[in-house]
Amino acid sequence: MIQWRSVRHLDPWIVLIGLALTGFGAIIIYSASRTSYPEGIQGLSHPTVRHLIFAAMGLLVMSLVVWLDYRSLGQVTPTLYAVALVLLASVLVLGTTIYGAKRWLNFAGLSIQASEVAKLLVIVVLAKYLADRQMEIRQLRTFLGSLVIVAVPTALVFVEPDLGTAMIFGAAWLGMVVVAGVRPQHILAFLATLGLSTPFVVVGLMGDYQRERIATFLNPALDPLGTGFSIIQAEISVGSGGIFGRGLTEGTQTQLDYLQTPTRDYIFSVLGEELGLLGALLLFALFAFLLFRGLRAATLARDPFGRLIATGIVIMILFQVFINVGVNIRLLPVTGIPLPFISEGGSSILMLFVALGLLESILLRHKQIEF
Amino acid sequence: MDLFGGGRRWSSQRPKRREDAYSPGRKFLLLHILIVFLFGILTMQLVRMQVFQGDDYRARAENNRLRELQVLPTRGLIYDRNHRLLVENVAKFSAVIVPADLPTKEEAAVFDRLESVLGIPAQEIAQRVRERRQDGNPYEPIVIKDELDRDTALILKELTSYLPGVDLKVDARRNYLSGELTAHILGYVGGISAEEYAAKRDKGYILNDQLGKMGIELGYEDILRGKAGKELAEVDASGRQQDVLDSRASQPGQNVVLTLDLELQRKTADVLREFMGTSDNAAAVVMDVRTGEILSMVSLPTYDNNLFSKTLSQEDLDALLNEPAKPLVNHTVAEMYPPGSTFKTITGLAALQEGVATPSTTIVSRGYITVPNQYDPSIVYVFRDWGALGPLDFYGGIAMSSDVYFYYMAGGKQDEGFQGLGEERLARYARAFGLGEPTGVDLVGEESPGLVPDAKWKEQAVGEMWYVGDTYNFGIGQGYLAVTPLQLVDAIAAIANDGELLRPRLVKEILDSHGNVVTTLAKEVRRRLPVNQEYLAVMREAMRQSVSKGVASTAQVAGLTVAGKTGSAEFGPARADGSHETHGWFVGFAPYENPEIAVVVFIQRGSGFTNAAPAAARIFDYYFHQRYVAEQAAP
Repeated sequence: MIQWRSVRHLDPWIVLIGLALTGFGAIIIYSASRTSYPEGIQGLSHPTVRHLIFAAMGLLVMSLVVWLDYRSLGQVTPTLYAVALVLLASVLVLGTTIYGAKRWLNFAGLSIQASEVAKLLVIVVLAKYLADRQMEIRQLRTFLGSLVIVAVPTALVFVEPDLGTAMIFGAAWLGMVVVAGVRPQHILAFLATLGLSTPFVVVGLMGDYQRERIATFLNPALDPLGTGFSIIQAEISVGSGGIFGRGLTEGTQTQLDYLQTPTRDYIFSVLGEELGLLGALLLFALFAFLLFRGLRAATLARDPFGRLIATGIVIMILFQVFINVGVNIRLLPVTGIPLPFISEGGSSILMLFVALGLLESILLRHKQIEF
Repeated sequence: MDLFGGGRRWSSQRPKRREDAYSPGRKFLLLHILIVFLFGILTMQLVRMQVFQGDDYRARAENNRLRELQVLPTRGLIYDRNHRLLVENVAKFSAVIVPADLPTKEEAAVFDRLESVLGIPAQEIAQRVRERRQDGNPYEPIVIKDELDRDTALILKELTSYLPGVDLKVDARRNYLSGELTAHILGYVGGISAEEYAAKRDKGYILNDQLGKMGIELGYEDILRGKAGKELAEVDASGRQQDVLDSRASQPGQNVVLTLDLELQRKTADVLREFMGTSDNAAAVVMDVRTGEILSMVSLPTYDNNLFSKTLSQEDLDALLNEPAKPLVNHTVAEMYPPGSTFKTITGLAALQEGVATPSTTIVSRGYITVPNQYDPSIVYVFRDWGALGPLDFYGGIAMSSDVYFYYMAGGKQDEGFQGLGEERLARYARAFGLGEPTGVDLVGEESPGLVPDAKWKEQAVGEMWYVGDTYNFGIGQGYLAVTPLQLVDAIAAIANDGELLRPRLVKEILDSHGNVVTTLAKEVRRRLPVNQEYLAVMREAMRQSVSKGVASTAQVAGLTVAGKTGSAEFGPARADGSHETHGWFVGFAPYENPEIAVVVFIQRGSGFTNAAPAAARIFDYYFHQRYVAEQAAP
């Protein structure tokens, strides 16, 4: 299916930066897991090893995705959507509760984080819906249709509860409808409605868990040894890193176990403490570069479907980074969301490499104007 | 305003792109800007935290991980004068909780687990943790249960790694080897109270600290305690110590060598117990008249001070406090009684010194004297002697303990023209002998300075004028006069040692933790008695006669010349036949020729002749003929 002369359209940077970030993550995970694995790497169960194994598997899956034509996905969007909804619904029914939220689905010995898979599937489905309606894109019907497609999975993750993923769904949808060209008035009207109904959402729909987290974010001193503990300790960790950091494996906050889930949601605190501002800026630069390459793929896409998939992926990664780091440095309320490529977590890594594969697949088949 | 639709117009201007009539244009520019903008926000916050507030956060991180711990010193030991150990430190295991280290979400589970191991209700534990948090000291450990047995301690030790915030504390407990026998002297150690902590936290005391509460433990707290050390430790988020970064070793407390002779103390207590019969209280002190060292000091009933080293229940404490015989009170220093006839020694010396009498002054006791009322001579008061003793010189007056003789000495006899001392001079001499003031013994708990009455005092305290009858009573140690046994023996010791009123002492030496003598406490003379040597000799001779042929003959010891004076002090309301209940006293010294020790024996509801004097004789006999003879004879 691949025209071999078009291989040169592939963007090596996307893969290289993805691998660089994964390696960066492996190093931080190693340091962050020293309290749990004081003997260092002694087997395949060590988080660093698992991270790298998942990255290797991710590379394989990515190759497969590149080789497949992304457009073939367009044929099966109803199935993809059904899979996404079934995953999200079953996690609510069968899921394992960890840290107060149901997010993991145990399936044949594998622990799958349903929302990580669902995010990408919904982006593809939404891209197909909008791409197929380029002619009637400015009609209210189309706008509302896209809203419904994204609202169902968003509601499902919201009740998990997973506020962070719900926000990412929202951001990806918003970015994609803007790029697809819906009427700005529709968007503005929707945002206004959302803004006005927020107080009712807080009172009526939010669980105690979410309200508590927001209350604690606003004033961590309310509960300095409970929920507030993780916020305060993350903040102290990042702040104490200073410009140059305290050195890898030298951060006292990390190494003395003051951080909760230091290899997952709070991995940025480890980075901030041990590698300081410079380490964080390096991370930001890598992400920004990756996202720019993603936008390049979007602009080069041969069709709206590819363009919208690429846009969705860029926005997904961008907001995931922003929310995760924002939580760690007290810009946002606590919400559990992994830092892409850096945090430990198989589902996340695999789906990110699938996403990179989709970007490459879009590039591979971009407009065939050869010189 | 068409913010997003620009691309549409562009596309119409570019007909070449047929396949996709859409150009992303400004929308992708906006996305680029959004990326830069969001990372810009994150970077600004990071710069604020890491560059501008980095030092603050760094300090907070240090504060997190570093914990300064007090290392409590080993408390000093206490020995008797022959270096026999009186108290030792033994291990005590307690279960403690550091509230700050408890996992908030799972603390109920921790409490439940503790309940199953320790048998303390989880609710009670939760309550105490809450209180400590409210105190604002979540890092200070709370003792949940102490006195754990070894097995429970081992189980808890195993569990501590699974129960964050819970710890097994091992510290020293005082084990008093002679318990009841020395309880009044050694006192005890107890947990620091909130007030004590507030006052002493600067001196290195911590919330769960122990300190001396009574006796030598309290009086010599600063010496016994030693100096606390410090440890700067790194702790993880669960409060488990990772590493000691810096430490300053604690200095063990110094050891105290008492003047007390444990064997003599034991004998004194045994003898006293034998002679007190059914009395509520008895007390005795043996003192070295040359140095003021207290060789034994017994107050009965006593208590086991080991009870206070453990956790004493409120019921047990109440029982001790409410017992009518007051076992917690050291009756040798903290209770005062009328001295009765033993006071005639002081009245007599005052009379000699003031020229009221000479050794040959003879007075006839017909069994009583009469005093007419100052205003109405038809009213005549009668003051009785204990018998019609006939003519007595000064020696006879003391030896036979004639009340009439000392009525004359104290109050005189107006109608016969015999001038007595009067209350003012009598009170002056009583005070010169140390009555009415604390002896200054190094024992906390000498609360009672006794009472030396005079006219001014009576007017203020009783609201009546002083009568000559009061002077009579004063002269024979009755009425308002009140002394402690220790005051009395100290006064008699001064008669025995040619007039030096000494400060009674319980501590002989202070040793450092290696046993080297740091301080030797020397004899302290409070004052010299205002009495000529020759009169002191007269009194000693009179007291010798009292024992050899007078009313203190029950104090005789074969092969030893004892000098002494009995007293049977009346107290309480008169009985139907006009007599009173009496306290039995004996105070004396031996050997007469070269006095070494003075002994006071007090038996509540007893007689000087039948209870106190024979008890003293047994103590003298033991001291001079058994205690040291036996030891010297041993190879």
